[in-house]
Amino acid sequence: MKKALILLGCPEAPSQTPMAVYSVYKLTSLGYDVTVASTPSALKLLEVSDPENFYVKNKIDIESCLENLEEKSFDLFVGFVHKDAAVSYFVTFYHILNTKSIALVFEKDSELLESYVESLKESTDATLVSARAYHNPTPLKVKFDRVIKKLEM
Amino acid sequence: MTFCLDTYLQESENYDILITRAGFKDCKKVIEDHAQEIIHINAGEKILGVRVIGIPPIPIGIDDKRGTVTLPYTKPCYGTSVVELPVDKEEIDKIKALRYQK
Repeated sequence: MKKALILLGCPEAPSQTPMAVYSVYKLTSLGYDVTVASTPSALKLLEVSDPENFYVKNKIDIESCLENLEEKSFDLFVGFVHKDAAVSYFVTFYHILNTKSIALVFEKDSELLESYVESLKESTDATLVSARAYHNPTPLKVKFDRVIKKLEM
Repeated sequence: MTFCLDTYLQESENYDILITRAGFKDCKKVIEDHAQEIIHINAGEKILGVRVIGIPPIPIGIDDKRGTVTLPYTKPCYGTSVVELPVDKEEIDKIKALRYQK
């Protein structure tokens, strides 16, 4: 079975948790065994959103995940990027994993959004899905669906 | 015993924070301006018991005379800080061996 890793950032942005659950759902439906790596606070939000682990089956603390990460240990890497620290985390996971990668970049401030996208373009060959989004996950979801559709082909 | 940066920062007061809750690019500049010697490493390299998070090439400052290293330290909700701490010569040698190869 193909394996996917979803990396969550700081849970401050409201769009992250619903998009995380949605991403797990989409990737699971494509046949991926999905693991979500997150901070303890982002994990709490996921646990309350999906109390019976209906969608999110495998969860791991971000620090333990990073510590034990190995090249090609996942077939697909999806990372949420909406802070400068999340850019650094995404790039670090990307370089260790050296696998097919998608960054979901979102911010309400368009200048910050652009700076995150530029940093990711300069330091990775990942597929970038970016949208001005904060409370409303729909702009990100629509663009993510387009990228996922390509994975289905 | 193997050095662990996370434990050291929790249990010791013998370190300096040069900048905190900043962006990676600002932290990179602080290290490059501050350190006597710079070693660049790749993202995810393990030094001082932790994987270094950032955008490669990541600068690590070395001061052989004072026996210190200066490095970025990132947490998801708090951004990136730069810390300078004293380490053994053996640890400095290990860091030098990780010099970034493009």
